[in-house]
Amino acid sequence: MNPKTGLKKYLQFIIRYNTVFIFLIMLVVSALVSDVFFTSANLFNLIRQVTPVGIISMGMLLVILTGGIDLSVGSIVAMVGVLCALFTKTVPLPIAILASLVCGLVVGSLSGYLVSVHKMAPFIATLALMSIVRGLGFIFSKGAPVLVSEDAYALTDFGSGSLLGFPNPAYVLVIVFAITAVLLKYNVFGRIVIAIGSNEEAVRLSGIKVSAYKFSVYAIAGGLSALAGIITTARTAVGSPVMGVGMELDVIATVVIGGASLSGGKGSAINTLLGVLTLGMIGNIMNLMNIPAYSQQVIKGLIIILAVLLQRFQVTRN
Amino acid sequence: MKNVTFKVLPGEIHALVGENGAGKSTLMKILSGAYTKDTGQIFIDDKEVQIRNTHDSKKLGIGIIYQEFSLVPELSVAENIFLNKLGVTGFWMKWGNLKKRADEIITSIGFSINPSLKAGDLSIAQQQIVEIAKALSEQVKVLILDEPSAVLGPQEIQKLFNTLKKLKKEDVAIIYISHHLSEIFQIADRITVLKDGTSCGSIPVSETDRDSVIRLMLGRSLDTMYPQHESIIGEEVFKAVNISLGEKVKDVSFGVNKGEILGLAGLVGSGRSETLRAIFAADKREKGRIFLSGKELQIRSPGKAVKMGIGMVPEDRKQHGVILSLPVKENISLTDYMAITDHFGFIKAKKESINTIDLIRRLTIKAENENQEVGKLSGGNQQKVALAKWLNRDCRVMIIDEPTRGVDIGAKVEIYNLINELAQKGVAIIVISSETSELMGICDRIIVMRKGQIHGELEKQEFSEEAILRLSLGVTTN
Repeated sequence: MNPKTGLKKYLQFIIRYNTVFIFLIMLVVSALVSDVFFTSANLFNLIRQVTPVGIISMGMLLVILTGGIDLSVGSIVAMVGVLCALFTKTVPLPIAILASLVCGLVVGSLSGYLVSVHKMAPFIATLALMSIVRGLGFIFSKGAPVLVSEDAYALTDFGSGSLLGFPNPAYVLVIVFAITAVLLKYNVFGRIVIAIGSNEEAVRLSGIKVSAYKFSVYAIAGGLSALAGIITTARTAVGSPVMGVGMELDVIATVVIGGASLSGGKGSAINTLLGVLTLGMIGNIMNLMNIPAYSQQVIKGLIIILAVLLQRFQVTRN
Repeated sequence: MKNVTFKVLPGEIHALVGENGAGKSTLMKILSGAYTKDTGQIFIDDKEVQIRNTHDSKKLGIGIIYQEFSLVPELSVAENIFLNKLGVTGFWMKWGNLKKRADEIITSIGFSINPSLKAGDLSIAQQQIVEIAKALSEQVKVLILDEPSAVLGPQEIQKLFNTLKKLKKEDVAIIYISHHLSEIFQIADRITVLKDGTSCGSIPVSETDRDSVIRLMLGRSLDTMYPQHESIIGEEVFKAVNISLGEKVKDVSFGVNKGEILGLAGLVGSGRSETLRAIFAADKREKGRIFLSGKELQIRSPGKAVKMGIGMVPEDRKQHGVILSLPVKENISLTDYMAITDHFGFIKAKKESINTIDLIRRLTIKAENENQEVGKLSGGNQQKVALAKWLNRDCRVMIIDEPTRGVDIGAKVEIYNLINELAQKGVAIIVISSETSELMGICDRIIVMRKGQIHGELEKQEFSEEAILRLSLGVTTN
């Protein structure tokens, strides 16, 4: 075999599975630069840290697949976190959790309604809700963190506990991921969501109710953001109105690192999950190396650019 | 493509014909600099030239009008015409000058379009004219037109031909690529037939006729182009009453019978597509009632229309008919997911594949398998997928807008057969086409529209190109 074509083949292979390679490179780099990285305590911590972003990223993936975007997720985490803590003081725990989830669903549905019925640009609609919901979080909490009621120990125990060596919330992430992956690959819902992002008008003219699907993805993203908010509150035993500031950007970054196209129609659940872990590792390893927070932001941004450049390379290659 | 040699003389209109995939587009792309040739030489004015990129091609005076438009929808007509000069001639926009010059070019080719309008707001025919004006804004020695008439009505085509004749007098060499032989015989001086990537030689138009060109293209004569069919026409299935949509469609009423193929003729902008889109609820209609088998339907969305048994193959295949980035099977299943899913919406993969493969065979779609991306198929096969989608469900009424635009002759015949087959099964079919001969060849009855209204109706024995043209132009017979 010609060594040059052999090299080209390898290169193409790497480009095709760029998300996996970036993930593996980060893994190797992390192991090399820090001897604490591969300790179970650190990995436990890493997984716990990425769980909320991971859960929301699955909802964001659905929204991005339709060609939309949801900027309100971070605000929903805060508002629902606060509400969940407040609810634990007044109603039984199962009802508190259910009510919190419903709140997230309602906010997501509102975005979905504006986008699908009023044809508002997703960026604008969710930007407005991002502001409104953040404000509501402050209003409900009166600006101060809200402690979870001591009677709700089941919630906090779950949030801080672990099972078989993995933090409990990680199992929630795995379930959300599995459902999303199956929906996208084997269910009509996923098919149509991807088709809408590829060519919305063609889907509409095929007789499919595009607005119903668009509405659903925002509702789901809202619901999953609420789930992440509940889990964060469960872990810290506090609902704080300043939780999740800038989180929407992290979530979008993970989906993009996972190879999804912001114009819709392209992306997968497994790659998004790898994106979540990659971004999580970047943060984790920089903490271990005691890199100052300001520099961390710069480095994180650079790595995102690098990841997307590699994907661009793939597109132009084809 | 291999070893194609052909010469175009200054002041000559040279037609390039051949089935889809014969190599016309490849040749064009080499000349435009989009592809680079493996071997061979290109001469302009007897001097060998190198075309490495689109910039080279422009500098050499090669102007190209593509089948797919390259206009920027959000910019004005004037800006689009001078797009490659914006920013070159200075920092500030000279709006007055720009618009004046754009207007001059458009007027010089016999049309009038306000240069301040946004390109995206123009009709497809007008966009084509802007496209031509754009090519003419530069000094061109060689002008290449790829299917320029596909979106134009007979009147506009005539104007286009006048422009080409004028350019001919100015010694421009013109390469005219088209599927429409009638046009070629009207305008071209010589014809080069491409088949399977090689040239079958150039013949002066005066020494050949339609049939021999078609035989050269595929060895099929014209008689078999429109397959014979026995229409078994039943009772009225579908009726539209007083369909209206602003200025575009005014109180249009008509009915279609079971097993009948109804044609909708008319010039570009006569409201043909708009009428059918309004019926299908692809656009919101202002008023109008729709009846299916005598029962009135409330159709407020395409979804409802489909549910009631109305299907539509839209005019613009690539934008609306199919999803290019998705596999054949996902395109086809889109119209009827109920049939291949369980109660929870999970897809029965095997059933879907069998269903798709069956349709691929029935329509002789040339695809590697059911998982191939539709964007990788040729135009004719893409159109077959757009049709296959609807064969997937049992439609009682089928609306087919431009069934064979940009499709080669071989695939055209197959599509005609398919339409006949549907009619024979009792489907009421409505066809729109800009090709009058196509409508006459396949329809049982033709309605002619003009300025958003029905202007006449012709039974099969009354069909003639002249009658249809007269009605579409609003000229009455003496």
